[in-house]
Amino acid sequence: MGLGSRAGLSAFVAFMVGVVTILSLLLGDNPALFGDQPGSDELARRLALPGDVLLRLVVIVVAVSIVIGIANLLFVHIGRLARRKFISAVLLASFGFTIYWYVTRQGDTSLLEAVQVPIESSLAALLFLSLALGGARVMRKRADIWGMLFVAVALVVLLGSLPLAELAPVKAWSDWLMSAPVSAGARALLLGIALGAVVAGVRALLGQDRAYRAYRG
Amino acid sequence: MYFMRLQRCVGAGATRKASNGSGLMAENTVALVSFVLTLMVFSYLLGDLPLIGILYRVAVYIFVGMTAAFTLVVSYEGVILPYLQDIQNVETSWTTLGNAADVAIFFTALLFGLLLLLKPIRSLTWLTNSVYAVVIVVGASVAVVGALNGTIFPLLQATAAIPEDLTADFSAMVDTLIIFIGTMSALFYFHYQVRANGAGGEQQSRLSRGFRHIGKVFIVTALGAIYASMILSSLTILTERISFLFQIGA
Repeated sequence: MGLGSRAGLSAFVAFMVGVVTILSLLLGDNPALFGDQPGSDELARRLALPGDVLLRLVVIVVAVSIVIGIANLLFVHIGRLARRKFISAVLLASFGFTIYWYVTRQGDTSLLEAVQVPIESSLAALLFLSLALGGARVMRKRADIWGMLFVAVALVVLLGSLPLAELAPVKAWSDWLMSAPVSAGARALLLGIALGAVVAGVRALLGQDRAYRAYRG
Repeated sequence: MYFMRLQRCVGAGATRKASNGSGLMAENTVALVSFVLTLMVFSYLLGDLPLIGILYRVAVYIFVGMTAAFTLVVSYEGVILPYLQDIQNVETSWTTLGNAADVAIFFTALLFGLLLLLKPIRSLTWLTNSVYAVVIVVGASVAVVGALNGTIFPLLQATAAIPEDLTADFSAMVDTLIIFIGTMSALFYFHYQVRANGAGGEQQSRLSRGFRHIGKVFIVTALGAIYASMILSSLTILTERISFLFQIGA
């Protein structure tokens, strides 16, 4: 099989699977679309079937690919350890200990409480400093009207969250900001993200996505 | 005595009365390990000093190793094992096609998973790419349907909806108008359209430029509020961590 036909096969598979999945998800399990005609329930159930099958297939493939990914991570760190990068031993030991803990003490969440939660919350706490530093940089590098508006809104929201009676007018301002202008901006951002997801999805459906096209064997 | 003090500091877990000595020991160990790991992560603030600089990296490596292990366990226990158990029971079926179809789906998925391993063999990459194609496109289809049904239609309906008490409450009418204009102008901000002028350059119409500026005001306002909310969340977590350190260290 030639290079072009192989790439074309991937694109063809992508297109067919995508069209079947979208139609199945949109039309399936929705008898109201077919009115009160007899057998509309059965028709809706049958239309949902291909989507259901493909979703189950993909869920299992993703789970298997996660296992492959983790195996790859371990192999990479074993290789690093062989090159005398001893810090990789920490990762391998941590991985091995967690699996051992899971096998021997099922249902015991103390490992999660002792390690995962403190590291995650400490990293989230460090985020405060990064954010504060980032805000200061915005004001230093972009001291224009937009930078000032950004900082002013952030200050009003921060001050509005303080439980002080003296700041009641600021809280009223903050509440109004959150309910009208911020809501409008956030809706536009969410709509933009959703439209972007639709465009990216359609590009993948049409075989324009490079993820499964770029590396031609 | 020190362990008793440690036990009081483990948050919700600390209030549980240990029924025996081993339970108390376990809770104390949890508190001590949490304390040490929190300090190791906060050592990032000291910069890349000799000996201290490696503590943050060690904490992150522990975190990555543990997360990988938990992810492996969840993938196996949450997806692979239930499917494996289901296909062994001939009386149950995921679909209306019967148990034989379930077996076929499961082993097809496993075959697809194995085909992913062929990526390094250049002559067989097209097989791997076909599996990627199925996974990416099914994911993209779910994203498209989700974006349409879950975000675009509901948000457009909510933005264009007129509240029932609009005539009674003037401020509600103003807010509705602000939300409508703000959403539309902020969406328009991402749309860039120019026309050629006589000198061979490009020029935006004044109306378009003005509308984009209004949109930018709403976007910057939203980003400022999101930034403040994130500052508040991370500050709350930082306060909790610092009080934890002080309680144990005191």
